[in-house]
Amino acid sequence: MNDLAAATAAPLAGATSSAKIKVRDVHFYYNGYQALKGINMDIPEKQVTAIIGPSGCGKSTLLRIFNRIYAIYPKLEAKGSIELDGENILDPNYSMNRLRTKVGMVFQKPVPFPMTIFENVAYGIRHHEKMSRADLEIRVEQALRSAALWEEVKDKLKQSALGLSGGQQQRLCIARGIALRPEVLLLDEPTSALDPIATGRIEQLVEELKHEYTIVIVTHNMQQAARCSDRTAFMYLGELIEFDNTEKIFTKPGKKQTEDYITGRFG
Amino acid sequence: MQAISAEPLARDTEHRSRADARHDLLFRFLLRFCALLVLGTLLGAALSTLWGGREVLFKDGFHFLFSSDWNPVEDQYGALAPIVGTLVTSLIALVLAVPVAFGVALFLTEIAPNWARGPVSTAIELLAGIPSIIYGMWGLFVFVPFMASIEPWLNDTLGNVPVIGALFQGPPLGLGLLTAGIVLAVMILPFISSVMREVFKTVPARLKESSYALGSTTWEVVWDIVLPYTRSAVIGGIFLGLGRALGETMAVTFVLGNSYNITSSLLMPGTSISSSIANEFNEAVGLHRSALIALGFLLFVVTFIVLLIARLMLRQLARREGR
Amino acid sequence: MSAIYARRRITNGIAMVLSGFATLLGLIFLVWILWITAQNGLSALNLTLFTKITAYADQGGLSNAIVGSLIMDLMALLICAPIGVLAGTYLAEYANSTRLGASIRFLNDILLSAPSIVLGLFVYVIIVLPISDMTHGTISFSGFAGSVALALIGLPVIVRTTDEMLQLVPGTLREAALSLGIPQWKLTVQVLMRAAFSGILTGILLALARLAGETAPLLFTAFGNNFMTMHPLDKMASMPGTIYQYTNDPNPALHAIAWAGALLITLFVLALSLLTRIMFSRKKVSYE
Repeated sequence: MNDLAAATAAPLAGATSSAKIKVRDVHFYYNGYQALKGINMDIPEKQVTAIIGPSGCGKSTLLRIFNRIYAIYPKLEAKGSIELDGENILDPNYSMNRLRTKVGMVFQKPVPFPMTIFENVAYGIRHHEKMSRADLEIRVEQALRSAALWEEVKDKLKQSALGLSGGQQQRLCIARGIALRPEVLLLDEPTSALDPIATGRIEQLVEELKHEYTIVIVTHNMQQAARCSDRTAFMYLGELIEFDNTEKIFTKPGKKQTEDYITGRFG
Repeated sequence: MQAISAEPLARDTEHRSRADARHDLLFRFLLRFCALLVLGTLLGAALSTLWGGREVLFKDGFHFLFSSDWNPVEDQYGALAPIVGTLVTSLIALVLAVPVAFGVALFLTEIAPNWARGPVSTAIELLAGIPSIIYGMWGLFVFVPFMASIEPWLNDTLGNVPVIGALFQGPPLGLGLLTAGIVLAVMILPFISSVMREVFKTVPARLKESSYALGSTTWEVVWDIVLPYTRSAVIGGIFLGLGRALGETMAVTFVLGNSYNITSSLLMPGTSISSSIANEFNEAVGLHRSALIALGFLLFVVTFIVLLIARLMLRQLARREGR
Repeated sequence: MSAIYARRRITNGIAMVLSGFATLLGLIFLVWILWITAQNGLSALNLTLFTKITAYADQGGLSNAIVGSLIMDLMALLICAPIGVLAGTYLAEYANSTRLGASIRFLNDILLSAPSIVLGLFVYVIIVLPISDMTHGTISFSGFAGSVALALIGLPVIVRTTDEMLQLVPGTLREAALSLGIPQWKLTVQVLMRAAFSGILTGILLALARLAGETAPLLFTAFGNNFMTMHPLDKMASMPGTIYQYTNDPNPALHAIAWAGALLITLFVLALSLLTRIMFSRKKVSYE
């Protein structure tokens, strides 16, 4: 493993000592079609990493490997290794349960469960941990507070989550994710279905959450990446073109393709 | 905020994973078992009726199929009359129901104003919701007298037409193959028309529009564009109706007349597989009962094949829709 | 040119008029059948129907048949609803793209229109005969056997609607639950089935509407009984079975009772199917 890391160290722009996730030579096949071609990147701990690129570039695909959610569909295959705290999560022996409690995910469209607001957040906790009702209530409140939703819903915890607005639903989904106290939070275009005000709140939330969590956010909105990420990866046609500090990517990109993309010459 | 990740979590992911995997396996097993019961029902229905009818089917299979002599007193069982009755009544039902169902589907997809489509199609489909015993009662008490009143007229008109005239001769009993066929036609009408309506709606608007743009009339669009495009599904819908007609019991039992004579006239009483079973089963013993179960086996095999064809034809459409 | 045009216009006009007539014809039959049922049924409707049993013949009522039908319909639902929902769930969630799943789905559609009288024979051969042999004839036809036969009528309806309703639940809901580490069985039972609850319930009601009107499968399974019984292993009367028996009888007073029963059962079945239609069009899945 060390040999491989050493061999691929050169293209790893911006490798830091505190890498939470180390992606090594990851290939991904969708029904025989190659969607990712040898991705290498180090995702730093407790920072926000944004992945940008035109649609179909493989950015969501990459994100969906980080918690192996792709594995629920047949005919999808990932090769290479992804180390989370030094352990390869693509190893079939890596417990799915452990992975999913360490890595939380929020999706494009808000998907609250058809339950009460309280149950939405408590559902995951209950499955993984045994605790008293009082402790559970504390955990739910903490999660909702962290997701900046507590003040809005504290009086209607017993109501259906389907009655919340889109932005509130998405924050509920974030609360649901962080209620399990994961270490990594994956956000897959979390604001693409939201209005500008709700989007602003989510971005603000991401800013706050990065003190606690390692966050990876996929977005097609370049301004969003520039606003709320520390590091940005640009992907194109299944390859990682450039990965560097966000400021550098948006001011002095190293590659022509990156420059073309962020200046809007293609997309 | 800082407090959140500080306290250790009371988690035992290893144990949890193993328990989850075990429960998942059990659940999957239970679900698969239930799904296999559906297969078991079909297979069981075929095998149990084959077993129940074995004495008649295996002793003299061909004689059973092609003999018209059904005589419980002498323990002679030939299934030709019920088979012919089933086929003839179902055929009459199809001949009558298909054009009407086509008209209904055409009306509901192309002609009716939008506000009328929902209520009218609901009303037509209510016909399918009426229990078949009600069709039987209505048939016996209302439709049979009605038929009896128009049969002399049928004798005088259609009865004198060469070739088909023989089909419309006989005393005005009201009961008989034609009456049963008409009652069946009303019963299967909603099934055929709702399939047709559904598939007509799947024709892409651009196909129809480009034909209208060339100056075609509504009828031409339906006949030249819509029907060819949906041909296989329309045939599937017709076979679905046929499958229903073949197996229907209660609607025809009262109005067929329960006679084992095979006649050339549609106005004469007859019998069908299902009505023979319904009428005689509870009085039958021994070989007689076996013969009735064997009839059930025949009915099941025939309807299975018809429905198989129907579903295969309908599946082609589902595939084109990209489902 | 204009002659051709005129002919096309006329053909079109005739076709339009004929299709209108076809629809009218269908509606006439609907109204005719319902009108006859309502007319004959209403004039025969009285309290005796609900208080007296069929043993009094034309002086009696239908109370044992009503109770028998309620018991058998309910038992049938208790049998076919869980099996049907689980089987439909298997098709939608576990075997959606497998060959086994496709075959079961396909054959379930055939079972949906299989002749009900043959299903009655099936239950006769696998339940009535063996029980009769085992008990030396003391128990033969029974309400239980009738319920099983009715359950076979309802089963494919529930399988199909459950399958369809679960497929309407957005896939993201599955991903969201799985990404929390929720196992698939829990996701299925606690999230997906809840999301599709009203749709699945619609299927169960639809199955009830379908099996409540069935007569043929009961003839040689439940048989019938002129007395009140609630024991599932007794021969049991049913509404459709009694209507069948009375219609076959030459006595016009029994015909009147049969019409009253016919009205009750038609109202029940049509009300159920209208109700499910309304539920169905309003909310397919309680999600989105």
